[in-house]
Amino acid sequence: MGNSKKYWKGLDELNDNPAFLKQRDNEFNEYVPVDQFLANTTAMEESSTSRRDFLKFLGFSVTAATLAACETPVMKVVPYVTKPAEVTPGMPNWYASSYFDGHDYCSIIVKTREGRPIKIEGNALSKVSNGGVSARVQASVLSLYDADRFHGPQTGKGVEMDWAKADGLVKAGLEKAASDRKEVVILSSTIISPSTKAAIAEFAGKHGAKHVTFDAISYSGMLEANKNSFGQAVIPSYHFDKARVIVSFGADFLTNWLNPIQFSKQYGKTRKIGKEKKEMSKHIQFESILSLTGSNADERHPIKPSQTGAYVVALYNKVSGSSLPVSGGVDEHAIADTAKWLMDHKGKSLVVCGSNDVNIQLVVNAINQALGNYESTIDINTPNYTKQGNDQDFVNLIESMNAGKVGAVLVYNCNPAYTAPAKLKFAEAFAKVGTKISLASRSDETSLLCDVVCPDHNYLESWNDYNPSKGHYSLQQPTISPLYAAPRFHGSRQAQESLLSWSGNKSDYHTFMTGNWKTMFNNTSDSATFWNQSLHDGAIYIESVSEAKEDKKDSKHDSKKDKAIETEAPKTDLRSAAAKIAEMKGKDTEVVFYESTAMGSGVLANNPWLQELPDPITKITWDNYITMNPADMAGKYNILERFDQLEDAPDTAIVTIEGLALAALPVFPQPGQALGTIGIALGYGRTNSGKAANEIGVNVYKTVQWANGTMQYHADASLVKGTETYPIACTQTHHTMMGRDVVKETSLMAWMDDAAAGNEKETINHKGQNVVATEVNLWNDFDRLGHKWGLAIDLNSCIGCAACVVACNVENNVPVVGKLEVRRSREMHWIRIDRYYSSDMSKAKGKEKGIGKIETYREMEHAASANPRVVFQPLMCQHCNHAPCETVCPVLATSHSGEGLNMMTYNRCVGTRYCANNCPFKVRRFNWFNYTGNKNFAGVNPGMDDIGRMVLNPDVVVRSRGVMEKCSMCVQRIQAGKLVAKKEGRKLVDGEIQTACSQSCPTNAIIFGDLNDAESEVSKWHADARNYKMLEETGIKPSVAYLTKVRNAEMEEEGKEEKHKEGEKHEGAEKKEEKSHS
Amino acid sequence: MRKSYLNPQRKAFVILHFLIFSLLFLSFQNASAADGKSLFKQNCASCHKPCDDKLIGPGLKGVMSRIPSLDWAHNWVKNSTKMVNSGDAYAKKVFGENGGSVMTAQPQLSNEDIDAILKYADAGDCATKPVPTAGGGNPSEPNGDNTTSGGLDPFWVLLAVVGVLIILTMVLRSTKRSLKNVLNEKQGLAPEPDRTIWESFKYWCENNKRMVAVIILFFVCVGVKTCWYTVKDIGVYQGYHPEQPIKFSHKIHAGDNGIQCVYCHSGAEKSKTAGVPSVNVCMNCHKGIQETANPGSKEEIAKIYAAAGYDPKTGTYSGIEKPILWNKVHVLPDFVYFPHSQHVMVGKVECETCHGDVKKMTTVEQFSPLTMGWCINCHRTTEVKMEGNKYYDDLHAKLKAKYKGQPITVANMGGLDCAKCHY
Repeated sequence: MGNSKKYWKGLDELNDNPAFLKQRDNEFNEYVPVDQFLANTTAMEESSTSRRDFLKFLGFSVTAATLAACETPVMKVVPYVTKPAEVTPGMPNWYASSYFDGHDYCSIIVKTREGRPIKIEGNALSKVSNGGVSARVQASVLSLYDADRFHGPQTGKGVEMDWAKADGLVKAGLEKAASDRKEVVILSSTIISPSTKAAIAEFAGKHGAKHVTFDAISYSGMLEANKNSFGQAVIPSYHFDKARVIVSFGADFLTNWLNPIQFSKQYGKTRKIGKEKKEMSKHIQFESILSLTGSNADERHPIKPSQTGAYVVALYNKVSGSSLPVSGGVDEHAIADTAKWLMDHKGKSLVVCGSNDVNIQLVVNAINQALGNYESTIDINTPNYTKQGNDQDFVNLIESMNAGKVGAVLVYNCNPAYTAPAKLKFAEAFAKVGTKISLASRSDETSLLCDVVCPDHNYLESWNDYNPSKGHYSLQQPTISPLYAAPRFHGSRQAQESLLSWSGNKSDYHTFMTGNWKTMFNNTSDSATFWNQSLHDGAIYIESVSEAKEDKKDSKHDSKKDKAIETEAPKTDLRSAAAKIAEMKGKDTEVVFYESTAMGSGVLANNPWLQELPDPITKITWDNYITMNPADMAGKYNILERFDQLEDAPDTAIVTIEGLALAALPVFPQPGQALGTIGIALGYGRTNSGKAANEIGVNVYKTVQWANGTMQYHADASLVKGTETYPIACTQTHHTMMGRDVVKETSLMAWMDDAAAGNEKETINHKGQNVVATEVNLWNDFDRLGHKWGLAIDLNSCIGCAACVVACNVENNVPVVGKLEVRRSREMHWIRIDRYYSSDMSKAKGKEKGIGKIETYREMEHAASANPRVVFQPLMCQHCNHAPCETVCPVLATSHSGEGLNMMTYNRCVGTRYCANNCPFKVRRFNWFNYTGNKNFAGVNPGMDDIGRMVLNPDVVVRSRGVMEKCSMCVQRIQAGKLVAKKEGRKLVDGEIQTACSQSCPTNAIIFGDLNDAESEVSKWHADARNYKMLEETGIKPSVAYLTKVRNAEMEEEGKEEKHKEGEKHEGAEKKEEKSHS
Repeated sequence: MRKSYLNPQRKAFVILHFLIFSLLFLSFQNASAADGKSLFKQNCASCHKPCDDKLIGPGLKGVMSRIPSLDWAHNWVKNSTKMVNSGDAYAKKVFGENGGSVMTAQPQLSNEDIDAILKYADAGDCATKPVPTAGGGNPSEPNGDNTTSGGLDPFWVLLAVVGVLIILTMVLRSTKRSLKNVLNEKQGLAPEPDRTIWESFKYWCENNKRMVAVIILFFVCVGVKTCWYTVKDIGVYQGYHPEQPIKFSHKIHAGDNGIQCVYCHSGAEKSKTAGVPSVNVCMNCHKGIQETANPGSKEEIAKIYAAAGYDPKTGTYSGIEKPILWNKVHVLPDFVYFPHSQHVMVGKVECETCHGDVKKMTTVEQFSPLTMGWCINCHRTTEVKMEGNKYYDDLHAKLKAKYKGQPITVANMGGLDCAKCHY
C-alpha cells in the first residue's frame, strides 16, 4: 500500500480491543438470536403459538388485508380559498433572511414549501457569512417547530393568561418600579439590530431603563484589551484568507470563536491548492483540548490553559525581541519554530487567542502589532459587533439586585439562570427584583423564575435588521405566519413590539423598522427601491452610511469619522501585563470548558438534530463528558480507557472545581488532550429547555470562573473516580474501514515535487504483468450517455464541521433515533464524517533512535495518542458503478441508474439487509423501527408530533420500518434541476444542481456535478493528480473521488524513498496472503 | 228573422283574421320583449341582473318605478359620468350607492333599445339565467350519464338461456331414457337403471375420465387467472368517480364552455401537482355567473360563495373563508413522484392521454389505472420529443448514434430507472 502509516478511528481499534475485533466484522452488531430460538425445542413447544394458531392468524390476516384493500380509501384534497399569488403548490419559494441568536450570526436564505420553512442555506450575497452556513444554523429551522415553545403569555410557572393581562402586569410592575424609584433593567445578550436598539432606546427613554448586555460566552477580555490597546472597546474583523501563517492559542475559530462561519470560509480558501495555486497557509495551534480547529492544524502543541499566557509572552519576546518575564514550562523549540514562521511572513500572518483574559489579549495585540498584521489580516476599522457582552456590567447588576435597587428586569434573549457562574448567585439576586419579565420565545431556566413571560416570535416568524459588523447590514423577514396565534392560542408577539407597546408606541415593529431605516439611510434617493432591494438580497454593504448618520446627529463626531484607529505602537504597559500573566499558575489538573460543535452555547439545546450530531472529534452524541488523555487515565486516576460500548460503559469521575462538585460524568479517552487537563463541553445540562434537552449532560457554566474582571473558561480542578459507570452513545468505532487504506495524505513539500505524492495506485498482477488495479475490470461497463453524476471531496479543505451532516438530515428527512439506538449503532445519518488519527512518529525517526520495527510501531502509537494528527473524511454512499450492494439484492430494490446513481427503491425493499452486509463503506442504514410512528421515539424524533412534522421535506419519502435507506445523491434535487433546464430549453449549467452536503459546505470541500461534462468542476477534481477513489483497487468504481490531504508540515520526508520500498514489500506480502485466502 | 250579420264563410274569415292578427300582435309583443332580453344579455348582463340581486351594478327589476323619467334613463345609459358631473341628484345618489364605480357608457344604444331593455328588466326575469351556458344541457338529463337504454341486461338473457337449456336437457334426458327403455323392451334387455341425476353424473364421470381431467384443468386455469387479476387489481381504482361536495361538472366547463384545462389546473405547467383550483379561481367567472340553466345550479354555485365568504346580494366578501374539501380522484402512493410539468411542458403529453376525455365527464373519473405497469408501458412506447430543446442536444446526437434508426423512447434514455420516480 502507498502508505505505511497506521490510521485508527478510536483507541479500541488502535489497541485491537477483542470486543472491537469481534464487532468490526459485523455490520449489525447486535446479535438477533433466530437460530438459537428455533433450535430450542422446549422453548418452541412451550411457546403459546401452535401451528394451528399460526394458520388461523395467517388466514385471518390475509382476509383482513384483502378486505381492507378492496375498499377505496376516500382522500380529501383541500385547495386554498384564496391562493397567495407567490405560492404554487408543489414548488418552493426562497426568502433571504438572517440568523442571529446572540451567539452565531449568519445571513441565510430560507426555503419554504406551501408557506412552511423547511431548509436553510447560506446567502452568498452576504460579505460577512459569504454563503457559508454552520451545522447549528442549518438545524435552527427545527426550533421553529418546537412543541415546547410558549403558546402565549404566562407566568414563569406556566399559568396562561391573555395579552391584556400580561401587558397590565408589566405596566404595573414598571409603574411600581418608577414609584419606588428603583431601576428598570433590560438584560439581553448582544444585540446587533439597530432597530431593536432604537426600540430599546425608546423604552429606556420612557422608563429610564438601563441596558445590560451579558453573553453566554464572554469576549469581555478581548473588548477590554482592545480598549486598552487602541482606545476603543471593539473586536476587529479578521481576514484569515489573507494570512499565510495562522497561529491560534486555544481559539476554535472554525466552529465557535467569534464568527466561525466567516472564518471557515476564509480558512478554506487558504487550504485549497491546485495547479494554479501552489500556496497553502501554515496553521499552528496551541491548545488544551483537541478542538476541531486544532485537529485541522499543520502543527499542534498541547498546552495547559494556565500556560497560554506564558506561551503568548514567550512568542512576543521572540517576535519583538523584547524580554518580558516568562514563567517556566514553555516549549522553547515550538515557540522558536512558530516565531520563525511568523517573522518570515510579516504582515501576512495572524495570531489569535481564545482566552478571555485581558492581559493575554493585550500581549496578543502586541504580537500582531509587531508583525504588522493590523494593516492586512486584522481590520480594526471594520469592527465586528456580534460580541458586546460586558461581564463587569452583569456582575454590577447582580450587586444592585442584591441591594434591592432593581424594580423590574426584562430578560430578552438571555438565560443567566443557566449561563451565569454559580458563585455569582444570580437566582438569589434575581428573586429580589420586584417584577421579572421574560421575553423568551421558549421556556428556559430564566423564564421559569420570571413573573410574566411575554413570548417572542421565533426568528423565522419575525422582522428584524442586523448590523454584524461596520457597514454590513442584513434583514430578517418572516417566512411563516406565527405558528402560535389567535384564535387557538393567545399567541406570541415580537419582543420589540412588546417593548414599543410598553413605551406607548402603537406601531408594529415592521413599520417601526422601515421608519428607522429611512432615518438611517436617508441619503439614498429612492428609499422604496433601496428597501426592496435590501430585502431581496438579505444582506447589503454600505460603506459610508453609518457615518453619514453620525454626521447628521452630531457634527462633533466629524473628526472621528476619518480617523482610523491608531494601531502603530502599543499604548499599554506590556510589562505589567506580562507580570500578571507570570503569576498565573495552574494546579495538577486543570479543566477547560469549551463549546462543542453541535451545541455551541446551548441556545439550541432542545434540537434533536444537534443532540444526535456526533461530535466531530469524539463522535459522541446526546451527552457531555470529560475528555482526558489516555495516558492520564490509567496513570493518574486508574480509570479504564477501554470499554465496549454495547455491553459496557465508561467509568465516571466527579470533578470538583473551587469547592463545587459536579455530578459524575463519563470519562472519555481523548488522544491529543494536553496532559494534566480535562475538557467538559458547555451547553448541556439544561433543566427547563424541553423534552430533547432536559437532563442531558451536566451544566458547567456553573463553574465558569469570574476572575480579573472577566469570565474565565478554565479552572483548577480535582478529580476522583466515580463509583459507577455511565453509558454513552458514540458512533466512533461503528462502520470501521477494516484497516484498509482509505485516507491518503502527504506533505506540501512532497506535493510540490510530485502532485501525485502520497497517492500511489495499487497494482496487481494481471496476465503476467503488473498493471494498475483500476485498469482491470471484471464487469462490462455501461455507457452513460446523458449525465453521469459524481462528487469530489477535498480532504485538504474539509474541516470536519458537520454542516453537511445536518444539511443532509434536513434535506432527506433522516430520522432521529435517540441515544439508546445510537448505542446499538443504529443511527440513520446518510453522511458521516470519519475521523482518523495518525501519528507524527515515523519509521525514519525510529531508525534514528535505533529501535526495532515492532518497537517503532509501539512508539508510533504512543506518540500519536499524545498528539495525533487528524484527518476528516466525509463519507456517503460512493455510488459505485459496480456496486457490491446491487448484486446481492434478491428483489432488485437497489439498482443502478443510467446517470450513474446507485438507486434505492424503498417500496421494493423487503429488508433482507444483504446489501448493507455487502457494502464495503458501511453507508447503508436500516429502519429498525417506524421512527415517525413509534411512541418510543416521541421524545427525540421531530416527526412525531404535528408541529414537528411540518419540517419534513415533501420531496423525499419518509421511510417506514423494515426498509434500507442511504444517500441518494439528492436525486430529488437532480430531478428538479434537470426539469428547470428542460423547461427553459437550455443545457444544464455546471453548479446549478447542488446536493445538500455540497451546498452547505462552508469551505467548498464537496463538489457535485456531471462527470460527463469535461468542463465541470467535479470533472476537473476527478482528473486532479491528488484524486483517488476509496477501495478502487477492488474494481467497484466509485463515483465519489477524494483529493489527498496535504499538510503544510514536514512528514517523514527523509525516509520517504525507503518507506516507499518497504511499503511495497509489505503490500506484496499482504497480497499473497489475500490470494491464499481467496 | 234578423239576418245574420255575417254569413258563416265570412264569420270564419273574420275569426281567422282575428286569430292571425292577435297572433301577430302577440308575436310583436314577444319580439319587443325578446329584443330587450337579447339586448340586455349583450350589453348589460355582465354587470346587472334582471332581478333584485346586485351583481356589480344594482339589480334592475322594478327599475321603471325608481328612475325619475325615461329621458333620465336614456342619458344615464349613454353617459353616466356626464350625468353625475352635471349634478343630477338621482344620478349622484345611484353613483354613491354603488360605491362610486362608473357604469360603462353605452352610446351605441338607441332610445328605443334602452326602452326595450328597461321594459324587459323592469318586469324581472329571475328564472332566466343571465348568461346561459352555451348548450347548457338538457334539464331532464342533468348528469348526462342516465343513458342506459331500455335493452335487456345480458346477464338475465344468459340466465334465461341457461334455464331453457337445463329444462331442455331434462326433457331430452327423460325422452332418451324412455326411448332407450322402449328399445330395450323390444330387444328384451333389462330396462335402464333408474339413476338420479347425481348418479348418472358420477356414472358419466367414471366413464369419461379424460374428459373430466380436461374440464378440471380448464376450471383450475380459469380460477388461477381470475385470482391473479383480482389480486393484481387491488388498489387499482380505475373508473373511480366519487361524488364531490359541489356538483361540479367538467362536461359543462371544459366540454360545453371549452375552458382550457390549465386555466384552472395551472400547476400542471409549473409544478409537480396540477392542483385543484383555489376558490378565487372559481370566483373569476362565478362572481358574474350566479346561476345557469341547469337545475340546482344556483345552490351549487352558492356553495362556492359560502367557501369564499362572498355575498352575491351585496357583492362583498365577509372575510370568513371555508375551504372546500374535495374528494381526491387520482391518488398516487406517497412514494411516487409524478411531475406534471415534466410531462406537460417538456414531454408535451396531452392531458387527455392520462385523464381521458374529461370534456365528457360530469363527475370526473379515474381514466387510467395509474399502475406502475401503465407508467412503464408509456415510457417504453413514447418517443421523446427532443428537437428544439437545447437541453437534449448532446444526448440526442449520442442516442441517435446508438439506436440507429430506431425510435428513441423514454426508456432508452433512462426512463425506467427506479429513481426517476421513487426517491
